[in-house]
Amino acid sequence: MPEFRYSNIEREMEVYGYDSYVKSHCRMCHGGCGVIVYVKDGKVAKIAGDPDCPINHGTLCTKGLASAQLAYHPDRLTYPVKRVGPEASGHWERISWDEALDTIAERILRYKEKYGPESIVFGYGTGRENEAVIYRIANYLGSPNVLTAGHFCYGPRICTGIITCGTNPIADYENFPKCIMMWGNNVTISNPDEYKGEPFSLALDHGAKLIVVDPKLTRPAARAEVWLQLRPGTDGALALGMLHVIINEGLYDKEFVENYTYGWDPFIKRVNEYPPERVEQITWVPKEKIREAARLFATTKPAAIQWGVAIEQQTNCADNDRLLMSLMGITGNIDAPGGQVLNRTPNIVNVGQFGAHGALPRDQFAKRLGGDRFRLASRFAILQPKCVWDAILEEKPYPVKMLFLVSSNPVMTRANAKEVYRALEKVEFMAVADFFLTPTAELADIVLPSATWLEMDYIGDFWKRHGYILPRRKVVQIGECRSDHEILNDLARRIGQGPYWWDSFEQALDYILHPMGITWKDFKKMNYIRGEVKYYKYKEGGFSTPTRKFELYSTVLEKLGYDPLPGYREPSESPVSTPELFKEYPYILITGARLPGFFHTENRQLQWLRQLHKDPVVEIHPDAAAKERIREGDWVIIESPRGRIRQRARLTLGRDPRIVSAEHAWWFPEMKAPGHGWEESNINLLTDNAMESCDPAMGASNVRTLLCKISPERGDGDQP
Amino acid sequence: MKRYALIIEEYACWGCRACEVACQQEFNPIEATNGVKYLSVWPDGPRLMNGKLDFIWRVNVCRHCDDPACMNACPAEAITKRRDGIVVLESDKCTGCQLCMDECPYQAIHYDAQRKTAAKCNLCYHRVDQGLYPACADNVCLAHCIYFGDPSDIEQKIIEKRKRRGGWGDILPKELRISRE
Repeated sequence: MPEFRYSNIEREMEVYGYDSYVKSHCRMCHGGCGVIVYVKDGKVAKIAGDPDCPINHGTLCTKGLASAQLAYHPDRLTYPVKRVGPEASGHWERISWDEALDTIAERILRYKEKYGPESIVFGYGTGRENEAVIYRIANYLGSPNVLTAGHFCYGPRICTGIITCGTNPIADYENFPKCIMMWGNNVTISNPDEYKGEPFSLALDHGAKLIVVDPKLTRPAARAEVWLQLRPGTDGALALGMLHVIINEGLYDKEFVENYTYGWDPFIKRVNEYPPERVEQITWVPKEKIREAARLFATTKPAAIQWGVAIEQQTNCADNDRLLMSLMGITGNIDAPGGQVLNRTPNIVNVGQFGAHGALPRDQFAKRLGGDRFRLASRFAILQPKCVWDAILEEKPYPVKMLFLVSSNPVMTRANAKEVYRALEKVEFMAVADFFLTPTAELADIVLPSATWLEMDYIGDFWKRHGYILPRRKVVQIGECRSDHEILNDLARRIGQGPYWWDSFEQALDYILHPMGITWKDFKKMNYIRGEVKYYKYKEGGFSTPTRKFELYSTVLEKLGYDPLPGYREPSESPVSTPELFKEYPYILITGARLPGFFHTENRQLQWLRQLHKDPVVEIHPDAAAKERIREGDWVIIESPRGRIRQRARLTLGRDPRIVSAEHAWWFPEMKAPGHGWEESNINLLTDNAMESCDPAMGASNVRTLLCKISPERGDGDQP
Repeated sequence: MKRYALIIEEYACWGCRACEVACQQEFNPIEATNGVKYLSVWPDGPRLMNGKLDFIWRVNVCRHCDDPACMNACPAEAITKRRDGIVVLESDKCTGCQLCMDECPYQAIHYDAQRKTAAKCNLCYHRVDQGLYPACADNVCLAHCIYFGDPSDIEQKIIEKRKRRGGWGDILPKELRISRE
């Protein structure tokens, strides 16, 4: 009898008779986890976590485990198609790669000639490690317009991180923080870029004290030392209140503040506008709890903040990020082991260089859509989506004629879905690369079959800021699918960008790695490469900011014409900012909480994952449900000033009775009609994308905090 | 006699449900359009306890009882208890009468509508007999809260972990014990 051993590759091979195994790097979310892929008869047979990977230590999430169900799904697109009927008619015809790419190339050249390269918008959804090739082709084309989720997801952390302290500060679980403040986030079931749940969990097992800021009672909130159950959208005010306590009780790191920060005096003045008494009124959090959390965070060293996207999809987006960084900074936790580290990536051609931002001519840069309005976003090549919809629908400030969307489903994931749908219907030509014919792809002219992570070679976590890169090794070829990188490499050569691209994409990987003196073939033999590990780097050269200091007062924002100090803005729609509307829509609607198994709009086709969540669910407090005559399991109509949708009621005490929490990104691949039910439960039929509701610097749409009313779907005649 | 146990420390569970999908991967083919569930993670709460809202995830799976009610209820003798303690339901012998499901005090037996038989966790005996951990316990769990091995070793590990955490939590670990030669 052999000894039991975790992740016993040799024994698995013997017992199950697998032919081989490949160590690779999963990308069912943004990427991150090392995996072992077992192969039998040329097919993926089993997927497990790689115990040698420093990111996940052998553990793996639901999505990673179910990757083979994605790769081999019968509905998957495995060859290029062109639409042969009207939009959303569901009539498609198989075409060759040459016909598909030549058609797209011809359109690009035609629109470039007639309307300028800015009339062609490339885009991707959330980060899927294809961003560098997409920016590269756009920049060499001369189009300043790449449509991403960067205005309200991760982009704000990058932009505000760079202007505050040179990069995005990453919670350092490796060195076991003694205190973790989890803010609007649940890393145990979500995927906030650099982070995985396992290292967070290990840090708690090593005794870290936990503070959770969340309107919802998550399991981390239930386990926390202090749970701050704030009014949704008031994160900025709460952070200011905590800063007030830390500064006025002298709990900040005086040496750090004195030597390494910029703008301390005006910063204190701003913070002093937010004493805990006032913050309690704004946030609903008792002032004693604000003090308790602030003291615990400031006096336990090292401490880290686990942050994520929730604070960014708000009107106060950029300032929320800056306020959390201020908390990290003035407590001396920046670049401290077990605090918030400014990691160094390995010495490779980085994402910015590969993206060829320097190749975009200045006059084309000046044409970036929304560039005058959302000036911080624009500086970092990020667009506000409404600017694109307006340019398509109203041709202002100039017409956008073509979209090329890679792994993006904006009909489901961008605010004001009706407007998005109208724009995608109207745009003259649209190409999409994706796994399935999604509600967005159904509107395209040509759809290209994208490879999953199992079907590509790539440098995993190339774009992340945790300091690692890991080889993603191709395991199988499925149909005619190609990686997004190969697709764009091929397309670029067809529009005259040959000199900037490669005969095969493997050469691009060699190019990325060349500063280290290695090739892709060398890297494939390695487990990972890590950048230099060093703490307190600012003590030698300062921070990579204009003042070389940690900028509590941002000189960059000042130059761009914004308030240089972080502050608090009410959500664009709330009991406070729109009291009249609140009378008709008496609940605060929060959206977008993550679900195990799904990644935004993805994976609802996969049986192993869909069985975890059959229907979209809206969570309601029992008191509110009783008032509205809603029972557990009822279909509920949720209505905002923009529209109405249906989701199923789950009654729970874990929310304030004034709050309703609905799920996002729901469509129904099992509905075979081309719309796939995109209008049934799509939260973005309720969200608002008015420019005035956005964060002024980043253009973040406020999709997390709205007002709504709820009612049972059954007719009035039904007895509850 | 060497003893083994599957122990799930529910206090540490985050509800990520990876164990459920690992179980699916082990038993349902990739092409499956529906499948049967042997293990499920479910939310217990939130509820008010001593004036505080509490909420925990629970993992439900066959307990491999010492005196299994399901076994005694089965008219087809499809359920047996091995000498090492694993309670095995052989679907080949199952007639689908579902009496075992009614008798199980834990609702840990499910009905496989496709095969028209009862189905439950057999503690991955096909793996355990080959020296492999059960699928759910093979280093999948990000909380590292699913243990398989010598029960006293596991208890010691959990005690140490709880000491490091600086708290014990109120929830005793659930133990699913089997013993082996």
